[in-house]
Amino acid sequence: MALPAAGPGVAVACEVHDLSHRYGRRTGLEPVSFALQGPGVAAVTGPNGVGKSTLLRILAGLLRPQRGASALSVAGRPIGPSERRCWVGYASPELSFYDELSSEENLRFAAETRGLAEPGAAAGAALARVGLASRAADRVAALSSGMKQRLRLAFALLHRPPVLLLDEPGSHMDEEGRVMLAGVVDRERRTGLVLIATNEEREWRLAEQRIELRGRGLGHPA
Amino acid sequence: MPSNGSSSGAAVWAILRKECRSEWRTRYGLNAALLFAITTLTSVSFAVGRLTDRTDMLSALLWVVLLFAALASLSHAFVREVEGHTLTLLRLVASPTAIALGKLLFNLLFLAVIEAVTVPLYLALMGAPPPRWGAFLALLGLGSLALACATTLVGAVISQTRGRGALFAGVSLPLLLPILAASVSGTRAQWLGGAIGPEARLLAAYAAALLAVSLVLYDHVWED
Repeated sequence: MALPAAGPGVAVACEVHDLSHRYGRRTGLEPVSFALQGPGVAAVTGPNGVGKSTLLRILAGLLRPQRGASALSVAGRPIGPSERRCWVGYASPELSFYDELSSEENLRFAAETRGLAEPGAAAGAALARVGLASRAADRVAALSSGMKQRLRLAFALLHRPPVLLLDEPGSHMDEEGRVMLAGVVDRERRTGLVLIATNEEREWRLAEQRIELRGRGLGHPA
Repeated sequence: MPSNGSSSGAAVWAILRKECRSEWRTRYGLNAALLFAITTLTSVSFAVGRLTDRTDMLSALLWVVLLFAALASLSHAFVREVEGHTLTLLRLVASPTAIALGKLLFNLLFLAVIEAVTVPLYLALMGAPPPRWGAFLALLGLGSLALACATTLVGAVISQTRGRGALFAGVSLPLLLPILAASVSGTRAQWLGGAIGPEARLLAAYAAALLAVSLVLYDHVWED
């Protein structure tokens, strides 16, 4: 099946209806509904444990919600949960890499597995975008927390997806890293939908829309 | 440009290469497996000498050594991803079926490497009679395939459970016993000059059945 290619300013729609999830007896995400249109940037904010990361995991297709539904479409084509990994770039603190491989080898592996045409070039370009080109040959185990965070961002950008889901993208980053992050988000806002889960004012100010999760089932675009 | 996710062959190949590279750099399972195989064979050799005319003992010893040498690594194929928190990365770049097939091929290759070292040593130290090579290698290949299918499937299923060590033993025992029984019986038969057809067919059918069940299950294994 041919998939529509993502390009400059591709239309992305994300609609969430009555979405909720529980981890055993603990509430992971109280019911939330919203609709977003891309290109653009939206922020998901709210207290710790309110379900920001859970929401992003559901949207990325990593977690099946117990109630409700999420719909994602790119250029009018609906993207089901099982194929979202092809269309979504996902970066979160829970994302870890193979310590015994270098940054470049980790990204090249991801590019090869995704079936990208030129894995080496894609990995190099992604590392350059986040300012990690000079550390490409270093094993991940030798990277600092901030560099690992940059690598997560490079992983999300690797296949140039039309949807970026960034969970606390600036954590552990120094000032230069945060400026780089703002630059990446600014470029991506023109080509697709960027959703940032954060409580950092500097990060949610990058967004033109904001979804406030308050843990009372009242999530909505503010 | 988003990938279309259809190149599952490329994904399986990439995962197999990544597994080989990781294993080569960490020697997580290889050293332990070879150490176990070599020390076991050496100890048994010192204790009981050559077992040239005991084909029953020889057959059982071969498969017990192969099974226990490889088991720790085979069962950890997925557990390592969970404990290293890299399963999320894998799930984001490949389908569950591609991941599992890549792991299965690596487990098969791992068994082949263990056998390449262990079998010649075993034949030399135990004084085993010269095998009928065609039948012997066919049994080794089919037994290894069935072992790899069973341990990969169980490893995938138990990887995200609590108490996975105990679960692995409990779940894999009934799956591994028919493989061991057929492999030991077939290996003995080839030394005694008998036919190995029934055992070979059983192992092939068992491996095919495990693979078919696996392909159905893998897409649902990691759904939270």
